[in-house]
Amino acid sequence: MAARLVLPLGSAADPPGQAGLHQLLAGSLTRGCGSHDARSFAEWIENQGASLRCEAGDDHLQIMLKGVGSDRHVLLPQLLEMVEQPAASDDQIELERDLNLQTLQRLEEDPFSRAQDRLRQLMFGDGPYGHDPLGTTASLQRLSSQDIVNERPRLANRQAFLVVSAAHDQALADGLEQRLQRFAHDSVKAPQPLAQGDCGWSADPLDTEQTVLMLGFRSLPVQHADALGLRLLQVHLGLGMSCRLFLRLREELGLVYDVGAELAMRRFDSPFIWHLSTSADQASSALEALLDEWQRLLDEPLATSQLELAKAKLRGQEAMGRQTGAQRAERQAFCQAYGLPSDFHAQAMKQLDSISAMQLQQVAHRWLQQPCLSGSGPAASLHRVEQRWQQRLSRCLSPAGH
Amino acid sequence: MEQPAGLGYSTPHTTALSNGLPLSLLPVPDSPVACLQFWCSAGSAVEQAQEHGMAHFLEHMVFKGNEKLPAGAFDWQVEASGGISNAATGFDDVHYHVLMPKEALPLACELLPRLVLQPEIRAEDFVLERQVVLEELAQSEDQPEEQAFQQLLALACGEHAYGRPILGVREQLLQQTPQQMLAFQQRHYRAQTCAVSLSGGFDLGHVQQLLEASPFAELPGTTGIDPQQPGLKVQPGVHALELPRLESARLLMLWSAPPAKEMLALSGTDLLTTVLAEGRSSRLVRCLREEKQVVESIDMDVHALEQGSLVILEAICPSDRLGEVHQNVCAILRQLQQQVPSATELKRAKRLLDHGHRFAMEGIGSLAQHLGQATLMKRLEPLEEPLSRWHQWQAEDLQQLSRDLDPDLACTLLVRPK
Repeated sequence: MAARLVLPLGSAADPPGQAGLHQLLAGSLTRGCGSHDARSFAEWIENQGASLRCEAGDDHLQIMLKGVGSDRHVLLPQLLEMVEQPAASDDQIELERDLNLQTLQRLEEDPFSRAQDRLRQLMFGDGPYGHDPLGTTASLQRLSSQDIVNERPRLANRQAFLVVSAAHDQALADGLEQRLQRFAHDSVKAPQPLAQGDCGWSADPLDTEQTVLMLGFRSLPVQHADALGLRLLQVHLGLGMSCRLFLRLREELGLVYDVGAELAMRRFDSPFIWHLSTSADQASSALEALLDEWQRLLDEPLATSQLELAKAKLRGQEAMGRQTGAQRAERQAFCQAYGLPSDFHAQAMKQLDSISAMQLQQVAHRWLQQPCLSGSGPAASLHRVEQRWQQRLSRCLSPAGH
Repeated sequence: MEQPAGLGYSTPHTTALSNGLPLSLLPVPDSPVACLQFWCSAGSAVEQAQEHGMAHFLEHMVFKGNEKLPAGAFDWQVEASGGISNAATGFDDVHYHVLMPKEALPLACELLPRLVLQPEIRAEDFVLERQVVLEELAQSEDQPEEQAFQQLLALACGEHAYGRPILGVREQLLQQTPQQMLAFQQRHYRAQTCAVSLSGGFDLGHVQQLLEASPFAELPGTTGIDPQQPGLKVQPGVHALELPRLESARLLMLWSAPPAKEMLALSGTDLLTTVLAEGRSSRLVRCLREEKQVVESIDMDVHALEQGSLVILEAICPSDRLGEVHQNVCAILRQLQQQVPSATELKRAKRLLDHGHRFAMEGIGSLAQHLGQATLMKRLEPLEEPLSRWHQWQAEDLQQLSRDLDPDLACTLLVRPK
């Protein structure tokens, strides 16, 4: 059995100066509810052999539960109780905050995580989507347990919904439905992201062997008509060992081990991130190759074979993503959370046939015009990268460009 | 003894091709996908003196193809059919997998053996791909945690192969030649030291025909018996290390555990590490994270290996709490020898392991992986068997195993930021 309770309380709604609030709220939900204190709640869950995770993403807070199907009659009501009667004590909330602070500090060891954080900041500034859901060291230190307690009434939210992948039980479903209908709080809409700033480059000097580069584009809302086209471009560029970035930068040039492109769909401007890591002395060459691929998307339609390959990969993903109960719950939760029809994925597969290479080029023109670049690595390497970036950008963005 | 419920799969079908290559096949009728895996015991542990890193480098080179299947053709055909493929090299084995929509499985049965069994190892590809491997190595070395783990293995395992990095070392990789790699491949990729597994949506009879007609059936038999690898002896001791760019301190402890073939004993070790470090109710997490609040995280993993398994504990904490954390961990481990798991602790650990196994066996790829590795090591058993082993343990029987986790037997590494 796999279940997800989804609430419209993502980190995009963290108030100014309180980055990390919703992730801390999520973490605190595992630290007691109803008559259970933190210890007895953990014992109860673990005695069932269940696994429980609570996380705030950019747009939603989700509670994810896995257990054996025969335990669903006790596990699922308890899942609702976590938001109906959250009961983490002040010291438990402070413990959770301290753990988040330590995690943030540890993540600074990872050049990829550092580059990604800085790219978020470049793309979204101090507003929604501009920070890791964990928050920042400064903002977390400011949060108090009272801030979390004050947020709790919002958990019983009218827009909350539960997705369960398990053998059907009508009486159980009815009981859960009735409880969800009593959720009465109306959430305030999360604010839109701030406008993107002018500065498109961030350097993070580090004493490492490699330089990590991340090229980011603020793209479209998940519900936008171009979303499927942009997803195809992401698959073409960054999915699998036949993708364009892998073939060019790794197989042909031997510059990288790790290269890819990720498109994380969001309610507002979904971040589309192209990433690589390479030896410091090759970083500017790798950037050159990456920007060539960007330019190519704008200048040339995909070849028929590339388009068909991207479509086939997307169809394959569709089959792969339906293997386990947890995967099926995740897909359904995604549709419901973003107001997409329940047959969204099936519809997308039908629409794929009619998408042309010309249309994809237009999608690239609409959404891939203003890149940001973040780099983590040795200072001298970043200096060369910056020079190359400025040269290329002035060429690409000049009126005579492409 | 509580009798665990079944996992809902039929018994895997085991057979061998005419050349002796073992097969394990598990049809899952309602699955939309199928996973084909090829396993070979050519992990890094079989590398000889000048071959360090070669098992993994060869895994990369395999994807460069051959005359009949040029570089990129395999990936293109698999992915154009909606599938994905990858490979991984460990100490004891290397495996290649293809996960496809079930309709495309015949293509996988044709392509995977053509790719894996006939690498050409062209000189120009060799040089280019070595650059990629060196990038992988550099990426790993830029992660301080990876460096700490590698150091722990080197200290604990000494000259044993498990003490060496699977990725190899830069200097040796630069010296290696395509000829050496071909010799390595021909020495180790043999029918008796390999296995094929398949799970998902397929027809058993049809697939057997496909595999018998594929190049898998042409894989030559073994030329001789490889020399017996020496058993692992962990060298106890306490060491310190300072690493630049480390933000949080690490306590790393490593113990030897029974080899993978001693499945019952190893299942007892699973139970003990679960009692100690799985979930907030476990002894170490409760004491150090929840009550004393001196660690960000603490966990223990059992790595089942052929020449001796490893139990590794990792605690992440502020640098100024490292000594205190070490002391407390040692005290709790010693206490375990006196105070065997309570009935509640044991029941909880059994359920956590039982359910974890059930979740893991839900994915078609995980099923093929389980079958492939077990078939390669000649210990395939019903999928429910691990559940039965965990459930048969009694608390008092775990006492001897708890002594194997004595802190004085561990190789301990205290890692601080430089």
